[in-house]
Amino acid sequence: MKLQAILLVAASLFVGAALSSAEPAVTVKEVALRQSPAADAKAVATVATNTVVELVKREGAWVQLTSGADTGWAKLFDIKMGTATSAPAAKGGGMSGIADTLNLATGKRDASVTTGVRGLDEAMLKKAQPNEAQVATLIGYAATPDKAESFAKAGKLAPRTVDPIAAGAQPATGAKSK
Amino acid sequence: MMAIKLIRFSLATLALLQLGACAGGQIPGAELAQAALGSQSIAGINLGAAVGVAKGASDSVREIPVAEEVEIGRSVSAGLLGAAPLTNNPAQQEYVNSVGMWLALNSGRPDLPWHFGIIESPTVNAFATPGGNIFVTRGLVERCNSEAELAGVLAHEIAHVVQKHQLHDIQKNARKGVVLDLATLKAGGLTGDAARAVTRVGLEGFVRGLSRDDELEADRIGVVIAARSGYDPYGLVVVLQTLQASPQDSSTALFLKTHPSPSDRLAVLAVEMPPSFEKMAAPNPALKRYTPVFKPAIQ
Repeated sequence: MKLQAILLVAASLFVGAALSSAEPAVTVKEVALRQSPAADAKAVATVATNTVVELVKREGAWVQLTSGADTGWAKLFDIKMGTATSAPAAKGGGMSGIADTLNLATGKRDASVTTGVRGLDEAMLKKAQPNEAQVATLIGYAATPDKAESFAKAGKLAPRTVDPIAAGAQPATGAKSK
Repeated sequence: MMAIKLIRFSLATLALLQLGACAGGQIPGAELAQAALGSQSIAGINLGAAVGVAKGASDSVREIPVAEEVEIGRSVSAGLLGAAPLTNNPAQQEYVNSVGMWLALNSGRPDLPWHFGIIESPTVNAFATPGGNIFVTRGLVERCNSEAELAGVLAHEIAHVVQKHQLHDIQKNARKGVVLDLATLKAGGLTGDAARAVTRVGLEGFVRGLSRDDELEADRIGVVIAARSGYDPYGLVVVLQTLQASPQDSSTALFLKTHPSPSDRLAVLAVEMPPSFEKMAAPNPALKRYTPVFKPAIQ
């Protein structure tokens, strides 16, 4: 197990260095790649469900994808990240799990890909002792409403009127529910 | 003096929580609570009267006043920070407080004493306590690649506080702790046990997690808070996609145990987020300010 972990880390470092910033993703439905990020833009290609593609960049609700020789725009919800196609190998083993680990290292700086990460698990939460000094530090970092408004202004963040979202159809197949 | 006052206040709160939770039934220890606390006035509240009112409320959980909610949140926060302290990065801490307060001002509870903190853990998680304390782990912040993504996470947690999800969970689960606490009181010691009991119930809530309905509701309300604050409302969606591709190991174990899977949440958001949101997702160059503070290596 240990050797496997070391090999994984070594391999992920290598792949991380070798690839550029494009991230792998998988289509979750049949997707029309469009010339620009707009629903009425011309479709340049069609990509089948469950195809591994490359995410070139994101823009709001849209992602620019490359599939083979084709490049075009699709909806954010048309893809999932990683290379795990929808008939995954048995949990905890197989190439797809390893591939996912490798892929994670390509697109993102990620200090916690190694196995055996420890921090804030169930046991630590259960045995925690109150730290009042840290509460004081927390309060010391607070932003006043005025500061937050200046921050928003500097970031060109203008308040908008947005209707609440109604609870929609909820596809709960196999989901955790209590 | 202040510390003692807080402990007493929490004790009173717990007693009331219990009375609310057991409404209508014969409550072991209720008379004891009244006897012990009945004639005191703590933090401006006449406890005798308050307990009496709580006893009379027979069919619903008592509505907790904001001042008490804030004290409950403070006790839970002290416990969480005992498990994982704040990171020593003032620039990032102030940044999350500015983003968070701006979002909170555009939420349903703009007047709470909101505080935001990054806690030192490589794991992926975020926590909200009653009263407006929001925590994100360093591991989760490192997976956020833009201010809109960070805002998506914070807005989800703010939504939990707006809907009082954790407060109701603590009210529901406080009973057992209170009975133990009253036993301690009977033995003669008015100690910090009450505050510790609140802390424990709150931390147990973080281990147990909220219901799927609560989480999906926080997603739904959170993306609206982000949109109302002027952010690209798809920030949370991008973070969930990143987590969707993350390996299931010890860095994601507690998060996955206490939340619906990222794929489940994304499938629901895909149905619920209206097409009108797409127009609110234009690139915002002013938000490049995120990179030097959170991704200095990419500079």
